[in-house]
Amino acid sequence: MTALRVEATHPVFCTIIPPHLLDRLAQSDDEARAGRARRTLERDAAQRIRRREAAPPAATEPAAEEKPNRTIYDAGKVETLPGTKVRGEGDEAVKDASVNRAYAGLGSTFELFLKGFERNSIDGEGLALDATVHYGQEYNNAFWDGHQMVFGDGDGEIFNDFTTSLDVIGHELAHGVTQYTANLDYQGQAGALNESVSDVFGSLVKQYALGQTAEEADWLIGADLLAGAVEGKALRSMKAPGTAYDDDVLGKDPQPGSMDGYVDTTEDNGGVHINSGIPNRAFYEVATAIGGKAWERAGQIWYDVLTGGKLAKDANFAAFAQLTVAAAQKRYGKDSKELAAVQKGWSEVGVTPADEAGSPEADTTPCE
Amino acid sequence: MRIQVKRTGGFAGITRRAEVDTSGRPDAAEWHALAEEAAAEGRGEPPAGVPDGFRYEITLDGERTVRCADPRIGAAQRKLITRVLKEGA
Repeated sequence: MTALRVEATHPVFCTIIPPHLLDRLAQSDDEARAGRARRTLERDAAQRIRRREAAPPAATEPAAEEKPNRTIYDAGKVETLPGTKVRGEGDEAVKDASVNRAYAGLGSTFELFLKGFERNSIDGEGLALDATVHYGQEYNNAFWDGHQMVFGDGDGEIFNDFTTSLDVIGHELAHGVTQYTANLDYQGQAGALNESVSDVFGSLVKQYALGQTAEEADWLIGADLLAGAVEGKALRSMKAPGTAYDDDVLGKDPQPGSMDGYVDTTEDNGGVHINSGIPNRAFYEVATAIGGKAWERAGQIWYDVLTGGKLAKDANFAAFAQLTVAAAQKRYGKDSKELAAVQKGWSEVGVTPADEAGSPEADTTPCE
Repeated sequence: MRIQVKRTGGFAGITRRAEVDTSGRPDAAEWHALAEEAAAEGRGEPPAGVPDGFRYEITLDGERTVRCADPRIGAAQRKLITRVLKEGA
């Protein structure tokens, strides 16, 4: 790598794939690989404006406890975790774009939590960030296994490589943050909140990396994930749940954007990826009503709730909403526009904050 | 033998169902052996699973259902699920 330079005053952690390497990949004989590299090049162009590559150990090295400790593994298309180590912290980029995207994505996520919320990694204590790529054959999924992130390659027909969307990487790591904080159940409304928190912080990771305001952000989850032939723009839309895709194979985006459309189901742990549309849109409404960079205030309120110790594991939407109201008032005051935005945001999606956090008389549809 | 697979959850939260009827198939015996092996690896209770992980239900002849979830699923289950989702209707 020849493009390294030291940024003395602002240590940064996210390394991007050297453009020359991506250029080479983009001209690869392997069409699939070339296509992916080209897409990455296009997308990374915007991010490159903001990011700088920090040199490895230098005199200006930040305190050790404030640096990410990333390790990327390659599962070699089987389902054994973690796989073979292919890139460690500070190592140069490798030829495999999935590895480099995962590495950069972990760095971007670490950076948002550190700079945005003064949180040192997932557990707040500098936890090592591990990720495995190339999990399984044409595996159409990514997940957090309780210890690390796991990414499939996608089948190329419906889904692309799951490392292609930065918000997906942020989403998975945010599951880790939730696990170490409120530890929301992965069932029913608590599960939908768990999912929504991951979408919120996943989207914020992307917005932070791109330097976007709430107005500029696309509020899409997995915008780079759908393969070319799929009719859709992403997997989920926080701005307009239910509108992300409408496709012959995938079906139509089933997410509701308000309690009117709450889906009662036993599948997917009580529709955790469906009903998350409701708190997702609440966050969008709050962030755009406040304006500016979404992680600075709306994100701070959500983060305060997640880490404040009052959010019950089995919290429902109304209990969560009440805690965001309390957090906004505590941080910004009872006459603040932040508090007004939070109250209006939940009202927009038909959730009435519980009188007391965890109150069973929540004005929301009970699940199962 | 009718082998049904239902996959729920996943990052996308999209449910997929597929079914293979082995009657009349030249490779029926192979399917049956794989199905029995997969059933033996499973259990009736839904497993805990992990965030965004796929959950699977394998049902044989509409009578026996076993459940499993990524990433801890048996080798025969993985093979059967992959084949049914790929070849099934």
